[in-house]
Amino acid sequence: MSDAMISATHITVVRSGRKLLDNVGIDLEPGKFTVVIGPNGAGKSTLMKVLSGEMTADMGHVSYYGTSVDLCQPVDLAKRRAVLPQATQLAFPFTALEIARMGAVAHGALNPTEEGRKALSRVGLRGFESRPYPSLSGGEQQRVQFARALAQVPQPVADGLPRALFLDEPTASLDLGHQISVLEIARDFASAGGIVLAILHDLNLAAEFADHLVVLNHGRVVAEGPCADTVNDDIISAVYGIAGTVGRLPAAHIPYVLPQSRHR
Amino acid sequence: MGFSMTFRGFLTVALFGAGLVAGSAAAADKGNSDAKRIVSIGGTVTEILYALGAEDRIVARDSTSFYPDAANAKPDVGYMRALSAEGILGQKPDLILMEEGSGPPPVLEILKASEVPMVVVPTPPDATKIGQKIRDVGAAVGLSDKAAALATKTEDDLKKLAADVAKIPGPKKKVLFVLSLSNNRVMAGGAGTEAGAVIEMAGGINAAPTINGYKPLSDEAVIAAQPDVVLSMSRGDHSITPEQAFALPSMQTTPAAANKALISMDGLLLLGFGPRTPEAARSLAAQIYPGAVN
Amino acid sequence: MPFRASDDGDRTRQGVATLVLLALLLLIACLISLGVGPTGVGLKDLWAYATGHSASLTTQERVILEAVRLPRTALGLLVGAGLAVSGAMMQGLFRNPLADPGIVGVTSGASLAAVTAIVLGGTVLSPMALFFGNYFLPLMAFFGGLLNTWLLYIIAMRAGRTSTTALILSGIAIGALTAAMTGLLIFMADDRQLRDITFWSLGSLGGATFGRVSSILPFVLVVLAIMPFVARGLDALILGDAAAFHMGIPVQRLKKIVIVAVAAACGASVAVAGSIGFVGIVVPHLLRLTMGPSHRFLLPGSALGGGALLLIADSVARTVAAPAELPIGVITALFGAPIFLFLLLGRNGIGMRDVQ
Repeated sequence: MSDAMISATHITVVRSGRKLLDNVGIDLEPGKFTVVIGPNGAGKSTLMKVLSGEMTADMGHVSYYGTSVDLCQPVDLAKRRAVLPQATQLAFPFTALEIARMGAVAHGALNPTEEGRKALSRVGLRGFESRPYPSLSGGEQQRVQFARALAQVPQPVADGLPRALFLDEPTASLDLGHQISVLEIARDFASAGGIVLAILHDLNLAAEFADHLVVLNHGRVVAEGPCADTVNDDIISAVYGIAGTVGRLPAAHIPYVLPQSRHR
Repeated sequence: MGFSMTFRGFLTVALFGAGLVAGSAAAADKGNSDAKRIVSIGGTVTEILYALGAEDRIVARDSTSFYPDAANAKPDVGYMRALSAEGILGQKPDLILMEEGSGPPPVLEILKASEVPMVVVPTPPDATKIGQKIRDVGAAVGLSDKAAALATKTEDDLKKLAADVAKIPGPKKKVLFVLSLSNNRVMAGGAGTEAGAVIEMAGGINAAPTINGYKPLSDEAVIAAQPDVVLSMSRGDHSITPEQAFALPSMQTTPAAANKALISMDGLLLLGFGPRTPEAARSLAAQIYPGAVN
Repeated sequence: MPFRASDDGDRTRQGVATLVLLALLLLIACLISLGVGPTGVGLKDLWAYATGHSASLTTQERVILEAVRLPRTALGLLVGAGLAVSGAMMQGLFRNPLADPGIVGVTSGASLAAVTAIVLGGTVLSPMALFFGNYFLPLMAFFGGLLNTWLLYIIAMRAGRTSTTALILSGIAIGALTAAMTGLLIFMADDRQLRDITFWSLGSLGGATFGRVSSILPFVLVVLAIMPFVARGLDALILGDAAAFHMGIPVQRLKKIVIVAVAAACGASVAVAGSIGFVGIVVPHLLRLTMGPSHRFLLPGSALGGGALLLIADSVARTVAAPAELPIGVITALFGAPIFLFLLLGRNGIGMRDVQ
């Protein structure tokens, strides 16, 4: 068992008498794109909060490369992982560049403004630097946040240790083209040796991008492994309550759109 | 874990207290008999200066000094407890004469440091101390003789009044001093007020002796007080009319209402405790006991 | 005018330029404050004093400069800077442009303590009043402010995390309580005390002495000294407690430090200058429009702008009704409120949003 990864064991989180997570274990390995799927209320966001160090589990243990997360200062954690949250509202009109720059500052960059600019380019927002964040569309805002996360961990591997990207529903409010490009950036991050954990709603995208898929339901891990093993009709119908969706074509008059079939 | 208030508290006491305690300047109590530019603070002090004929030597006064009327033409340095150091010094005074209780204290310190002669006159709300007040003011401006004469006259007038009041036949009347009737509430003058003292000088009984200071009286207390006369202040053309005074339900059952006995007198005249006090008290007595005093 | 960031989105140049302008403005405001007043002591006298030729001044002129103008300018600078920076920090902490330093309970606590000192200083508290003399009221106000903030903090700190909503709600509750107690004391007050209370609550720099200046200096310095350290944290906090944590900010510690520093600076300011409003809201607001919301420029800018604003307001207060003096709280409200309205009505399009 390599220490160069983020792992969680026996995680249990109880709130108001309800178990949000029940004895969940997960390993995030470098070079792998891990995706968590599951219906609403399955505990996906809670799991991400525990893994990122934001929430302390009532039982269980999270460790970053062998060190327990409780022993890490926020500053150290910030250097090892960046989190892309779901939608963010701002009370004050920062510019896109100023937001992306914050990630670079968290990284400790010597020239955070330049790093922020580079990050914005990577997500296709070159030219948006001076736009006030509140004036951007939901999708543009999400990409600015992604740029911030990328600026926080610019190198997938640094000082011999992999860095992690945690993406909480990164594709919400993005249109299809941008969904693909965001996930492709994340996949490149993983391929270069970084750790990626993403919560996805779209099962097709999950099926394409996940190297390791974790299916959560009612706070428990129902299945995990490569997509070929986990994306099957039994599991999907058990978890989501609809049967016959995997690998079957719809009725002839209904067109189907499969992003994973796109031209490369 | 929490923040340790005890350590912080100790530190703050030390820092703040030590920082605040500054040396105080020595008091300057001397007067200036040749003063030609007097800044006069306090209605009674100003009134006495005018009575001594020193009005041309006054260069500025405070906002409580509105008698005599001529005083209002002089520059106003503000409320006597919220003075402006530079404002006063800007009048280039050669004497600052102020009633006790003027302030704020830091401004007084600055004035002391400026080496302008400054005299503080004690002004207790006590008829027997009026003479001393007049003498103190006179001493400060080099008019001790005139002041002695005025003081003696005032004291004599007070004695005469006391004698006349003692001769008033019949039971003493209960007088309720009403400061204001706003919001249909009676703000009465109780024990320890100038109003109470003047009422007694005029041979009356304060109808609200159980409250201290100027306080709102509840409706029941007004009824229980059963005042024979209601006394109120007028300022310029403002005064409470009998209709207004006795319209309140609580007042309607009082003997005062039955007799429509409302007395209205100028505020500074009535409450000033200065040279006009004997005249004010006499006038009040004459109105409370018509015909018995003149 | 305001929001036009340079095309590359980096507002550093604007930030620096605005800071330079503000420093200049502060310098001018200081000169006005030192050189203008009803006694006619002017800048040339100041120059004589500063260059060691004070023998050429009369005693009175020297007293005016040393005992009136200099301490007053120093006090105005400190109080203005302290209040404005505190306002900016509170707005960052609460992610709300309407937050002012009073939100942590320090002004209502200080007011209650001051009213207590005024009303009970002659009776129940007279031994203390006699012991501390002139400093009784400021000391009471200072500790009252701190005590109230501490109380508020304890109440809002449940389960070890300071939720901003809990702080605001507790603040409302405690504020109502302090207002009620203040009302009770006002009922007990006599005529003279009522006037004192009124003037205190309108604020004034008239009682400035070097003793008072040196007493509030450490507390205002604290809030100024932490500016570079909290700027980054406050920026990150705008994205939310969680995002700030993810970017490495120790959120709970930041909140504690900021709240304590703000309470100390504002408590000290209120203690020596009474209650002065609007500086904490209007200055940071105006500056956000010109230099953007990034705290690395906003905080120092607020310090400079707040000091300048208060000094100018004080100069007006001292001269417009001379030889009397208007309470400074009246001036700041008289100008602050219309500016505030103008900001609210005129700038609505530029994305000033309310966030829960």
